Amino acid sequence: MNLTIASITLRGLLGRARFLFLLPLPVIMLGLAWLADSLGAAPADWVGPIVGGLGVAVVLPVMALIVGTGVLGSEIDDGTVVHILTKPLPRREIILAKLAVATGVTALVAGIPLFLVGLLAEGVRLGLGLFVAAVAGSLAYCALFLALSLLTRRPVLVGLAYVLLWEGLLGNLLKGTRLLSIQQNVVALADAISGSDLVKSTISTPFAVGAVVVFAVGGTWLAIDRLRSFSVAGETS
Amino acid sequence: MSESGVIHDIGYQRYSGPRLGRGYAVRSLYAHSLRTAFGLGRSGKSKIFPWFAAGIALLVAVIVTAVRAQMGKPVLSYTSYADAISILVVLFCAVIGPELVSRDLRSGVLPLYFSRPLTRADYALAKLAATVSAAWLLLAMPLTIMFLGGAFGAGGAKEIWTEVGRYAAGLGYAALFALLFGAISTLVGSLASRRAVAAAIIAGFFLMATAVSGVVSGIAFATDSTALQHTFGLLSPATLLQGVHAWAFAEQPGDLETIPVGGLGPVYGLVFAGVVALCTLLLLARYRKVAR
Repeated sequence: MNLTIASITLRGLLGRARFLFLLPLPVIMLGLAWLADSLGAAPADWVGPIVGGLGVAVVLPVMALIVGTGVLGSEIDDGTVVHILTKPLPRREIILAKLAVATGVTALVAGIPLFLVGLLAEGVRLGLGLFVAAVAGSLAYCALFLALSLLTRRPVLVGLAYVLLWEGLLGNLLKGTRLLSIQQNVVALADAISGSDLVKSTISTPFAVGAVVVFAVGGTWLAIDRLRSFSVAGETS
Repeated sequence: MSESGVIHDIGYQRYSGPRLGRGYAVRSLYAHSLRTAFGLGRSGKSKIFPWFAAGIALLVAVIVTAVRAQMGKPVLSYTSYADAISILVVLFCAVIGPELVSRDLRSGVLPLYFSRPLTRADYALAKLAATVSAAWLLLAMPLTIMFLGGAFGAGGAKEIWTEVGRYAAGLGYAALFALLFGAISTLVGSLASRRAVAAAIIAGFFLMATAVSGVVSGIAFATDSTALQHTFGLLSPATLLQGVHAWAFAEQPGDLETIPVGGLGPVYGLVFAGVVALCTLLLLARYRKVAR
């Protein structure tokens, strides 16, 4: 963990116009929750679609995709990553700093709105459960996407294919693939922590904790390993 | 200076052959963009994604055809096939649309195009047509496999004729799919000069819109509001197309359940046409100004 790298990364992330694209998503989610609540619909009717269908399935992965591939991927794209790599720092510290910033930003833009939705629906416990699950999910997603940005030249494409095809299409068709989907494990964590009837999952709690830890640690380790033997290449194809 | 400054006449000549003109330039741009979409004539790396997507689409069609041959009746109709793999079409358009337009913007080669007889509108429309055609081909190839399976399994000439009608309806619906997603993705791609960002925005928009219409449909069915049940489909591209499907296309055996549209079918048709027209106009407006 290196504070200078972290602050540069944060500035690079927040200083771009594309960061503004992130804000409408959580705002729409909050707006819909507020609308459903003020129209007098029962929480049992709208929490499922808004939290499960919108919050955990769309807002969290899309935020993590843009932020997670942006912290290192944009520097690799424009070639400035060389400046960091030539500094006398262990590669481990670079990855950990980038991961911390990515996780923090994602947890902020996806976790806080989920907390507010939970608060609106039932109470503090559901809100906290959703928030903690969202932070764990941010860590797992960001570690995965950070590793992807070092494994392939087009991390956003591969990440999109993972979110859309694996979690979206296959998760609905073949239920077994849910065990290996971050999204479903995050729902399981939220279920376990909140103990609420509004958020339900079929995955057991120890498995969900284990899966999220495997995604987070595995992604981080892979990213560190890849950055150790990183070679700067020009733009091809 | 006196001797070295001479320009020798080594027989420079004007080009006096035929000039192929604007139509030829537009056709070439269209054909090459369509080839680029499938990675033809490019490196192996750029073939991976389009053929991976086409492979999944073909695999689904082969499975559906095989199950139909075993069971003796269609499990998935030609029109519902596009609905079933809409996520794949979105992913394909989200990658191909920006691939065709963003690279030219990023590398600043547009002035080279516009110094030819090609006008700005020609460029934009050729790129749009290429994206739409590529998305249509992605759906048309598997539909053809399904049709061949259905036609060879049919009992007589009359059945084959019905099959041809349904196949044609499927191709028509696939064209609507390609038009909507192609227009949206080309527009977003022309606004963002980085392919990855444009792809993420298109896919994020689609996921968001689908989830929002899902939430609204949940509220509509929970509160028993008929008006809301018939209009929530207008909120996302995939359900908008489903509404057009329910309104304009005859029922086929093996149809998936579509959203209820009630008497609002024509509204879905109008909104569809409006969105496609708006995206095309915005694309033309974008290329009226842009230099790089």
